[in-house]
Amino acid sequence: MNKMRESIVMKVHYGTALGAVALVAVHILFRLTQGFSESLQYESVIANYEFLPYALVLELILVLISVHGFNGLRVILLELKQGRGYEKAVTYGCIAAMVAVIAYGSRTIIMTSLGMA
Amino acid sequence: MEKQENKEGIKGWLNPGRYGIERFAYWLMRLTGIGLLVYFIAHIYETSAILDGKAAWDKMLELTQTTEGHIILAIVIGMCVFHTANGIRLMLGHGGIGVGKPGRPDYPYAPRSINMKNKMCIYVSIGLAALAMLYGLGVMFGE
Repeated sequence: MNKMRESIVMKVHYGTALGAVALVAVHILFRLTQGFSESLQYESVIANYEFLPYALVLELILVLISVHGFNGLRVILLELKQGRGYEKAVTYGCIAAMVAVIAYGSRTIIMTSLGMA
Repeated sequence: MEKQENKEGIKGWLNPGRYGIERFAYWLMRLTGIGLLVYFIAHIYETSAILDGKAAWDKMLELTQTTEGHIILAIVIGMCVFHTANGIRLMLGHGGIGVGKPGRPDYPYAPRSINMKNKMCIYVSIGLAALAMLYGLGVMFGE
């Protein structure tokens, strides 16, 4: 399997960071428009999830932060120690954790927005 | 033998005092990154409580909407703002913006890339993080 060049990985890292900053700002604004406590009430949160554009924003945030966060963790772990086996284990471990978090978060977003909560 | 003596491992990585504010920013960037990843995973888990109905969601809110919960959230806000502002500085730096022109290394060999502009950006990032934390605390405790 061809390894992705580290320069490409860093561009993805920066791209996901910029995307996440913009979308997290929208996510926070949603909390502030109603008042912080009221926006967290069950009915309000369900209404947020059922509003499709917002559910899409949440899904995008989930993917962008997962990719950025687990790649960041991979970079930190590779700075601490190097070695062929170790680097492979760290890379695949981070990819597995990223996929697990995206799958778990997507389950919440999809089921709630489809009215299955 | 010498090689082994130089190996400080995680202790060396965590020592922020030896190389000035740039080293502190390097350390803080990683620390805030790990902190934000931990919060993100916890946030994914806590929000999944919505699938178990209103009672489970209200129980989760009782746990998180407390003084301790608000303080943790304020720390997360601070970490997020520092990580973002310092991250933008690093992105610009990696693109060659704000690092100065290369020149002959003269005594006292101060690296041109670590200039006052970069140092100021680090201090501004820390200041912005503190302000955002204060604003967050105001919103959360002001209600």
